[in-house]
Amino acid sequence: MTLKLGRHSFADDATLMMAIVNRTPDSFYDKGATWAEDKAFERVGLVVDQGAEIVDIGGIKAAPGAFIDAEEEKARVVGFVARVREAFPALVISVDTWRSEVGRAVCEAGADLLNDAWGGADPGLVEVAAEFGAAIVCTHTGGATPRTRPFRVEYDDVVASAIAETTAYAERAVAAGVDPAGVIIDPAHDFGKNTFHSLELTRRLEEMVATRWPVLVSLSNKDFVGESLDLPVGERLTGTLAATAISALAGARIYRVHEVVETRQVVDMVNTIAGRRPPQRAIRGLA
Amino acid sequence: MRVVIVPGTLALLPEYTSLDDPIPELRKAVDAAVAWLVAESPAAVRGATSAAKRIGAELLGADQGSGPGLLVVANGTATRTEKAPGHFDERSAAFDSVIGAALRAGDTAALRDLDLELAADLWAPDVPALAGLAGFEIATSDIDYDDAPYGVQYWVARWETED
Repeated sequence: MTLKLGRHSFADDATLMMAIVNRTPDSFYDKGATWAEDKAFERVGLVVDQGAEIVDIGGIKAAPGAFIDAEEEKARVVGFVARVREAFPALVISVDTWRSEVGRAVCEAGADLLNDAWGGADPGLVEVAAEFGAAIVCTHTGGATPRTRPFRVEYDDVVASAIAETTAYAERAVAAGVDPAGVIIDPAHDFGKNTFHSLELTRRLEEMVATRWPVLVSLSNKDFVGESLDLPVGERLTGTLAATAISALAGARIYRVHEVVETRQVVDMVNTIAGRRPPQRAIRGLA
Repeated sequence: MRVVIVPGTLALLPEYTSLDDPIPELRKAVDAAVAWLVAESPAAVRGATSAAKRIGAELLGADQGSGPGLLVVANGTATRTEKAPGHFDERSAAFDSVIGAALRAGDTAALRDLDLELAADLWAPDVPALAGLAGFEIATSDIDYDDAPYGVQYWVARWETED
């Protein structure tokens, strides 16, 4: 399906890199490396140079921590979105937020996509997306409260739960007036899930792809990778890329990542092997 | 009548398409020459190998017919450099220069006299198709491409015969 992310359109077979840009002092991977606005802006320039089609700007880390109210969240992201919009008109700007109040402010500042990592915790978010012509990411959290860790969560069938919850959210978004071409689903690895759940979602991702909604995967350096290999944050890239390869083979369309270059190479290589993408430049044996 | 000579690189076939064309200039010259050929009449394909015939058919598409136009799919040696498919053979450049001069001059007698055993040694299996042009009287000759970008000698030649 053709993707429409706010003011930007992408072909049926395009895969997209969504680079994470944190406006937080405490996110698990970068630990505040882009907390200073100029550092975050530098990172946007870097990931654009690396070929990212989307930046995902977040003002609150996903894990529990200091309470950040909507005013503080807006102070972290709204002005920054406006600055990025001005400097990079061709870039898709996503904002990682669950709050409709924040969603409204960033859409006014030029955001194209609302990445609701907490699965519709605020039911007003879809109305904001509809009002501004923004796209939306519908994630599966198993009903988790924003910024909580999973504790002894179990599912009869985690993939069935992910499909049911994300597609119901997607249909709710469309009913609220969001353009169906801009509705994305995300199984949300690690969110409301243990490692076994995230591994099963990876292994059976093609079932989510089969719903025909474009699938986003957010795998980058997550705990399910760390626990699978018993590796700390900072040593999870290879494991992340292995999960990325499996997801690409299943047909994921958008990859939310810390490492753009490595992920792009893996996704392109897998899609080339799968016969969905020609080689970049092949002459061996043909001349 | 018109005769066009293009190389037999498999990179001309759609099933071997890359995102970035490895032969952009050659393809441009080939496409222009084939368009020039079929602007006058449908054309028949001549090639010494099944791959050459397949490439010719692909290039002509619906314009393939019994002629009088002729599309010859053939190239020079594949042993021009260390990195060439057949590695470097020092006899290669001289052999290709004889073919190149004959194409430029429209000298079909020189093509008839090519050493086909040497051609086989130099990884040039299409050369018999050039030798088979003996007997045509060539009035004009244009060489649109003459290069060996991957250690394989390619030409794109356009001929018009004496009526």
